[in-house]
Amino acid sequence: MEQLLTWLQHGLGKGAGDTAQSWSETLLGSLHFWSLLEGTHLLTLMLFVGTILVVDLRLLGVIFRRTRVSLVSEAILPLTMFGFAFMVITGLTLVFAKPLFYYHNIWFRLKMLLLVLALVNVWVFHSHIQKSQGAWDAEPVPPGKVRAAAALSLLSWIAVIACGRFIAYDWFACGKPQSTFINAVEACKASEEGAYSLQGKRLN
Amino acid sequence: MNNGRFIVHAAISIGLLVAAMLGVAYPVAAHHAFAAEFDGKAPVLLRGKVNKVEWINPHAWVHLVVLGPDGKGQEWMVEAGTPNTLARAGIDRNSLRPGMEIVVRGYQSLDRSCIPVCKANGRDITFPDGRKAFMGSSGTGAPKDGADPNERQ
Repeated sequence: MEQLLTWLQHGLGKGAGDTAQSWSETLLGSLHFWSLLEGTHLLTLMLFVGTILVVDLRLLGVIFRRTRVSLVSEAILPLTMFGFAFMVITGLTLVFAKPLFYYHNIWFRLKMLLLVLALVNVWVFHSHIQKSQGAWDAEPVPPGKVRAAAALSLLSWIAVIACGRFIAYDWFACGKPQSTFINAVEACKASEEGAYSLQGKRLN
Repeated sequence: MNNGRFIVHAAISIGLLVAAMLGVAYPVAAHHAFAAEFDGKAPVLLRGKVNKVEWINPHAWVHLVVLGPDGKGQEWMVEAGTPNTLARAGIDRNSLRPGMEIVVRGYQSLDRSCIPVCKANGRDITFPDGRKAFMGSSGTGAPKDGADPNERQ
C-alpha cells in the first residue's frame, strides 16, 4: 500500500529532469485547479447531504407529512445522484493530490469507516426496508425501522462531513509526539514524518 | 400539534439556531482557524536561510534554518497562504529560492515541542533586498498586527 501510494504521489506522470513533477505534485501545487476541486467538492456535498436531509426528515415524519414518501424522494433523488457523482469524483481527485497524507490521517481513516457505514445503510434501505414501501408510503409517520434507517443516515452523513472537516487540522499529525494508540491507528511508523512517543523519542 | 412533533420541531429549531450563532461567530473562517494550531501570544521573528519551500495547497510551507546564539541551526517550517495568494503578493518560485537569507514574522504553534522541526504561522516575509510581503492568509483569526494589507479594522 505504502509503495503504491508513494508511486501515485511522487512517481506517476513524472518526466525527465531534476525539476520534473509527478501529476499528483503538479495538482497539489496548482494555482487554481486544486481550489476549484475543493470548492466543487464542498458545494456538491452540500447538495448531496442537503437533499438527503429533506428525504430523511420526510421518512422521520417531520416534514411534508401529507405528501407521499415516493413523491418526495422521486422528485429529489436526481439532485442527490448529481451531487453524489461530482462529490465522489472531486473527492477521489483531492485524495490523488496527497495520497500518503490522507492514508496516514486519523480523520480520513475514520471518515472512510463512517462512509462505509453510511453506504451500507443506503444498501439496506433500498434492498430491504423499501420492499414494504407500499404499506407506509402515505403514512404521515412511517414505521420504526424506516425512521431508524433515516436517523442513521442523517447521523452517519453528518459524521462523515465532520471528520472530513477535521482533516485540515494537524492535532494528530504523524511526526508529532503522541500516544502509541494514535501512532498505531495512523500507521505513523511507515509514514514520511515517522512516529514519535509522547516523550519526543523517535520510534522507528 | 402533538407532543412528539413539538419536541422534534423544537430540537430542529434549536439546532438551526446554534448553527446560525456559530455562523455569526466565525464569519470569515478560512481554510482552518488560526487559533486551533497557533498561538497569537507567541510572536516569533525568524532570520535564516531558506532550506526548501513546499509550494502546495492549501498552505505553502517555507522551511528555514535559524542560527541560535550558540551557532547551532534550528529548522523552522512556516505556514504560508496558498500558492495562488503568494503569487499575487509577489512570492513565487523565482522570488523565493533555497539559500536565500530572509526574515519572517509570525506566531509559533501551540505545540512547542519542535519535533521534528519548530512550526510557526507566517505573517510577513522580508527578502534580502528589503522588500516586504504579506505571506499569510486573510481572515483566519490571526492577530490584527498590520501585516495583512487587506485586513479590515
